[in-house]
Amino acid sequence: MKAVLVVHGGAWAIPDELADASVRGVKAAASEGYGVLGTGGSALDAVEKAVRAMEDNPVFDAGHGAVLNADGEVELDAIIMDGQTLGSGAVSCVQNIANPVSLARAVMEKTDHVMLTSRGANLFAERIGFKTAPTDTLVTAYERREWGKAKEYGAGVKELFHSQLCHDTVGAVAVDSCGNVACATSTGGIRNKMVGRVGDSPVIGAGGYADNRSGAVSCTGHGESILKVTLARLIIFHIEQGKEVEDALELSLRYMDERVHGGGGAIAVSPSGQWAATFTTQRMAWAAAEQGTLWYGLNPQERFQDKPVQ
Amino acid sequence: MLPVLVVHGGAGQIPKERVEMSSAGVRAAARAGYAVLQGGRSSMDAVEEAVTNLENNPSFNAGYGSVLNVKGEVEMDAIVMDGRTLASGAVSAVRNIANPIQLARLVMEQTSHLCLTAGGAGQFARAMGMPEVPGDSLITEYARMRWKKNLAPNANPVESQMEKMGTVGAVAVDEDGNIACATSTGGILNKMEGRVGDTACIGCGGYADNRAGAVSPTGHGEAIMKVTLARLILFHMAQGMSPEEGSDLGLATMKERVEGLGGVVTVDPQGRWAARFTTTQMAWAAAQGGTLHFGVFSGEDVTQDIGDPN
Repeated sequence: MKAVLVVHGGAWAIPDELADASVRGVKAAASEGYGVLGTGGSALDAVEKAVRAMEDNPVFDAGHGAVLNADGEVELDAIIMDGQTLGSGAVSCVQNIANPVSLARAVMEKTDHVMLTSRGANLFAERIGFKTAPTDTLVTAYERREWGKAKEYGAGVKELFHSQLCHDTVGAVAVDSCGNVACATSTGGIRNKMVGRVGDSPVIGAGGYADNRSGAVSCTGHGESILKVTLARLIIFHIEQGKEVEDALELSLRYMDERVHGGGGAIAVSPSGQWAATFTTQRMAWAAAEQGTLWYGLNPQERFQDKPVQ
Repeated sequence: MLPVLVVHGGAGQIPKERVEMSSAGVRAAARAGYAVLQGGRSSMDAVEEAVTNLENNPSFNAGYGSVLNVKGEVEMDAIVMDGRTLASGAVSAVRNIANPIQLARLVMEQTSHLCLTAGGAGQFARAMGMPEVPGDSLITEYARMRWKKNLAPNANPVESQMEKMGTVGAVAVDEDGNIACATSTGGILNKMEGRVGDTACIGCGGYADNRAGAVSPTGHGEAIMKVTLARLILFHMAQGMSPEEGSDLGLATMKERVEGLGGVVTVDPQGRWAARFTTTQMAWAAAQGGTLHFGVFSGEDVTQDIGDPN
């Protein structure tokens, strides 16, 4: 079985000043996740590791580097799904946790539930010994400045530029040497979002889906649009119908654009090791590791190859 | 034949002494929703009316009569979806309001988001002038009794849930061919604080698309989420299956893949409908062309004139 790991660091108009750091960030995350697969580790472990690496990286809007909501607080969403069992864990609007993807995994493995929200999610985190990270350690000075500006200009400007807003949710998909697939997605949401706003990332079938029978998907982009078309599940549906992974992504993103005028991106992997990274936004930082090679890109049509990874 | 409305009051194993009140309740809700359609109003108005009726009826696990979380408190989830635009609104883990379905609709119509959770949802409710009600006013003796019983260490709330209560929901197609769905619940008996089930997750607890139909599920929430049941059924229908065939296949998949039981009410753009379930019972009622169909037990389909007040 061919082991493959693909990551994304968000689909949006990534400004030049963040471009290099974003590409470096996804490459590093892909290498770390692939390292798990290389030693025979599971797809589930690999996607968690890769997403943790991006949560720890302040250049991405997840964990460290999260954006602030309308009240100036951090609210984080994440999901993880195991294609073997269809088991899943998710958290929405959890506050001040450095690695929401790991908390999501704990929901899957330590509770009878699939999703916990807000205070309930935080209480669970406390009970199982997850440390609270003070807001200041998660939020960058850059974000505080941008948030301040957004507050000053108000909702009107936000709507006008919604496609320019940072949508740098992070995610990973993988297939391991046993043919098991998994996905994980994590985000801090949209800057200045309403308190308690839940986007696509923690919603099973929207921000992510994994099924050993067809593949694993992680999505990024305009959350509300991704939810309306249940993008991850739609992509899986096309793969189930026999489409190539790349075609499934393209068809689904095009449908989202036509039906609800939303932009975004997605990564997907099939149980046989086929993979793709596609987006309709200006840019998406992504990287994929397979058979010792690291692929990556940022702008449309880009597909660079790097020296072999371990 | 249009218009048409179908409601359910939960799938499970309804105790004998509660069967008649459940059936009477769904019939009353179906009549109320159908009257809205007969008045020329939209499917969205109709499903909201039907579900509001069920939330206000203490016999059902939604609004007043909701099951309690492990702390003995009420936390509710609800969703609405508009099949014409794929617009949707949802709330999760919301407290102290009588009609979560109305709040879900306000999320859809008054915000640029699709889902608000917990404290943020409560904040929004206040901003919309929705009356805050004491938590106790939503709690019935029956709900409190069930909660106490399931605090016992060897209690199995999932089995108990299957035996007693369920989510409520409705699907409808109006005269203009517009399709809508609505689902509301107090969740699973003795759930962890902050547990969010299928109901607040688009594609799981509900989905509506003018091109395919609408589904409102009930049953074991975590299982419904793992197979994205509403979306799954509509994929089958988009490929040519009838509401009955699509619903049965979706429910069978849920049983086979994740050992979950449940039920759905489903409708297609032509007004064909189905009320299907893999649990012992599901209280349901359908209104179409002056006739009310209803049932509780498997295979049951009683008809009466819609004008009959019983």
